[in-house]
Amino acid sequence: MSGKTTRLRGGRIVDPMASMDSTVRDLWIRDSHVIEAPVEPPDTDIDASGCVVMAGGIDMHTHIGGGKVNLSRLLLPEDHRRPDGSPIALPTNPLELASCGGCAPGTLHTGYRYVEMGYTAAFEPAMVPANARHAHMEMGDTPIVDHGAYVMLGNDELFLQMLAEGQDFERIRDYMGWTIRATKAMGVKVVNPGGISAFKFNQRKLDVDEQHVHWRVTPRQVVHTLARALRELGVPHPLHIHGSNLGVAGNIKSTLETIEALEGLPAHLTHIQFHSYGTEGPKKFSSAAAQLAEAVNANANVSIDVGQIMFGQTVTASGDTMRQHANSGIASPRKWIGADIECDAGCGVVPFRYRESSYVNALQWAIGLEIFLMVKDPWRVALTTDHPNGGPFTSYPHLIRLLMDRSFRNEQLQRIHPDVAANCALASIERELSLEEIAVMTRAAPARLLGIAGERGHLGTGAAADIAVYREEADFEAMFTTPEYVFKDGTLVARAGRITAVTPGGTHFVEPEYDRGIEKLLRHHFDTQGMVGLDSFAISHDELCTCCNHGGRLLPAALFEGRS
Amino acid sequence: MTVAADHVLADPWTCPFCLLLCDGAAVRAEAATGALSVEGACDCARRALAAFRATPSAATPEVDGRSTTLDEAVAAAAVLLRASRQPLFGGLGTDVAGARALYRLALATGAICDAAGGEALSQSLRTLQDRGQFTATLAEVRTRADLIVCLPGLPLAQAPDFFERAGVGDTTLPLVPQRHLVMLGGDADEQAALAALGRRPGVTVEALPLGDPFETVALLSALVAGRAASGAPEALKALAQRLRAARYAVIVGEPSRLGPQGALLIEGINRVVGELNRSTRAAALWLGGGNGAGTVNQVFTWLSGLPLRSRAGPLGLEHEPLCHGADRLLADRAVDSLLWVSCFTPDSVPPETDLPLIVLGHPDLPTRGRVFIPVSTPGIGSRGHLFRADGVVMLPLFPIYADTLPTLQDVLGRITEALPS
Repeated sequence: MSGKTTRLRGGRIVDPMASMDSTVRDLWIRDSHVIEAPVEPPDTDIDASGCVVMAGGIDMHTHIGGGKVNLSRLLLPEDHRRPDGSPIALPTNPLELASCGGCAPGTLHTGYRYVEMGYTAAFEPAMVPANARHAHMEMGDTPIVDHGAYVMLGNDELFLQMLAEGQDFERIRDYMGWTIRATKAMGVKVVNPGGISAFKFNQRKLDVDEQHVHWRVTPRQVVHTLARALRELGVPHPLHIHGSNLGVAGNIKSTLETIEALEGLPAHLTHIQFHSYGTEGPKKFSSAAAQLAEAVNANANVSIDVGQIMFGQTVTASGDTMRQHANSGIASPRKWIGADIECDAGCGVVPFRYRESSYVNALQWAIGLEIFLMVKDPWRVALTTDHPNGGPFTSYPHLIRLLMDRSFRNEQLQRIHPDVAANCALASIERELSLEEIAVMTRAAPARLLGIAGERGHLGTGAAADIAVYREEADFEAMFTTPEYVFKDGTLVARAGRITAVTPGGTHFVEPEYDRGIEKLLRHHFDTQGMVGLDSFAISHDELCTCCNHGGRLLPAALFEGRS
Repeated sequence: MTVAADHVLADPWTCPFCLLLCDGAAVRAEAATGALSVEGACDCARRALAAFRATPSAATPEVDGRSTTLDEAVAAAAVLLRASRQPLFGGLGTDVAGARALYRLALATGAICDAAGGEALSQSLRTLQDRGQFTATLAEVRTRADLIVCLPGLPLAQAPDFFERAGVGDTTLPLVPQRHLVMLGGDADEQAALAALGRRPGVTVEALPLGDPFETVALLSALVAGRAASGAPEALKALAQRLRAARYAVIVGEPSRLGPQGALLIEGINRVVGELNRSTRAAALWLGGGNGAGTVNQVFTWLSGLPLRSRAGPLGLEHEPLCHGADRLLADRAVDSLLWVSCFTPDSVPPETDLPLIVLGHPDLPTRGRVFIPVSTPGIGSRGHLFRADGVVMLPLFPIYADTLPTLQDVLGRITEALPS
């Protein structure tokens, strides 16, 4: 066989898809893939002894591109200069183009910083259909990392109307199939089911069994219909749910009702920390992490990502106009952006500073960590901060240390609001996540949950050579901040925190089948709503590859085999 | 080249020439004249298409007024930029691909970038940076807005078919069988246009004087918030009442017509919208950023984190929404070369200057500068992408013929490569 080979010699291979027990051995790459050890010597031999070798990290929920992300950048010029107001220095690495930002980074900066941290894929979770082309353009300008996006449905007036009119389920399913294909999405996300639309009709709250003031449908119906349709369309990533009542004390009730609404259908509950609040205690705001963990432990159809908050300045960028409007009064700095978008969805961008001294913020911090440590099955948990909503993705190494190192965690616990530190369940949790469990939550589980585990998220023979090699250190934060080597599809793209090659990332998407008869209805709908023409709306393969993505690879995911 | 017979070149065609990017018209080639005609499009599209023929331009690059090859023109442009200590990139009439290439060249040269009409763009941006905003897109206006307030006047110059796209007079839209349209300010032509709109079914109209716009907006803001506003005209009180009673009011504004200090008015209107959203629903729609400027601003923002009026300077990435205005930089002689881009129209000409000037754009641009390179127009000779007025919907542009002119991104890429690394 031809092709350049590389051997990573003597590293500790942490590859949970193969085994939860790591082993010290060599790992071989030929060109872009992992191979069995060949007979010939390697073209490049890298000493990986003393290192941990993992598949490249996969962030399955990170707001990296599209309308609200760009609005966040526009809103926060202060995020793009140093604290004293002086400019951020240009990169010294000639391979990097200038780009900056902390919680609202430019796309170039986003790509470089993810890769330097050992991540090789990132998924934008909230792509509005009308804004899909823009989102793909931004993701295409996010170098090196593979990417994909979940298209937002369940607040579009057409879906709600079809549901309200009791139209055949199959037609709703076909409409969803068309939307996924037209927007080149990897999955479907619902945000505050029905609630974004309801806010346009001046409804300010929508519980799971409460009716939308105009369409008279409930979030329960919306969630169930979307989840069922995705199952039947064979989309591997199940419905990605940002539930009702985000951030509201007592919202654990909505969260549990949302799980119930699924009636056993698979779904992914995202940034679940923001949906796990009780109403106990003097401030009527308490942790419901135990209830949430119990529900996740008991419902194998459900996976989660956490949306951990990290102390400091960030910006919350969400499709949930209803909740963002409600929270806009506590914006810090005091400014915010909202938008009602194209009969599809909405967005709200609210800057926020999480403070250790705040009772609520301290409790949010503890709740996130409690969830990580109380849910038993790591294969159903993805490590996220809901970048940038809980904190920027660059804080992942710190988060990993909090999860792996109890003494460090307890030190940090002493810095937060004393009432929380004294009373939270976190203080008594002894669990420390293992390297293997971290590898599950940061690559293997996301790959499986997205349906890309054939090639990604593991190091087995035939896997894409997306690889991060970390020098083993007692300080896990330092270890996960700067891997020694990062490979993307076999190319060395970062070495000890410095970008060494800039390649275009690929685009993951899924193309479900649907009855083309639905296009007649859609054409009429697009005409009457005054949106763009149906043909201009859809993104073709050629456009995705050449215009959006600088020629990056198209990575269509296989459909779920049991589909109807 | 001649056209053998009348024929359709593109159907449907997406028009890149105004903020609305209408995509329902058909472009035809006329055999008799070699001109382009368009069915089902507005006057703006007709006027813009008159600057193109049914066949590609045979224009060639020029250096110091002399026709030359693309290679020589690229080399000459690189020489000028290399010698420049502080270039200014102006005009910026291009699409996504052109903007991506402009960003690379701007980084390589340390250029400051500001669009034609950049002052209005900057005024909107500064209010956004200071206070934020709440906006709606076209389809929301169309399907939901029972009250539309326009100021100053009507946005017909920038977006001739705005009221068609906004569904004004379309009685089939279930949520808005009846709409009220208010125009603040406006000249006699706009009064006439408003009266015509008022004759459409389901539409009532009203014209109010804008007076001193700062005072009017301040009073309106106070009235909407229920604060004392002594001396407020009755008509303004009635407008505030209408806004509070509307199910979904949309205030449509044009920053380019608000004059100096227009940012204060934008902020005032945004404040009115914010106040209304406490109890009912409302949104603003700021129309601007045409001729590619809004698109380039978005692309620069996503690539770098910073919008236009920025540069990669010696200290790093600097954003200066006031100091980096093109007019100010030229007046202060704070720049020593100008690269001007206008791909969509020959009417966007560079300001008078004695600085070394490079012009990239429409083949009929009257100002040629030291180096002139005619480039393809996205949506005419090449594909492309632009944002629509609301900054949310990005539409693909499709060529009506295969151009002989290079694309802007090709030319910029070659200039970037010709610079010393």
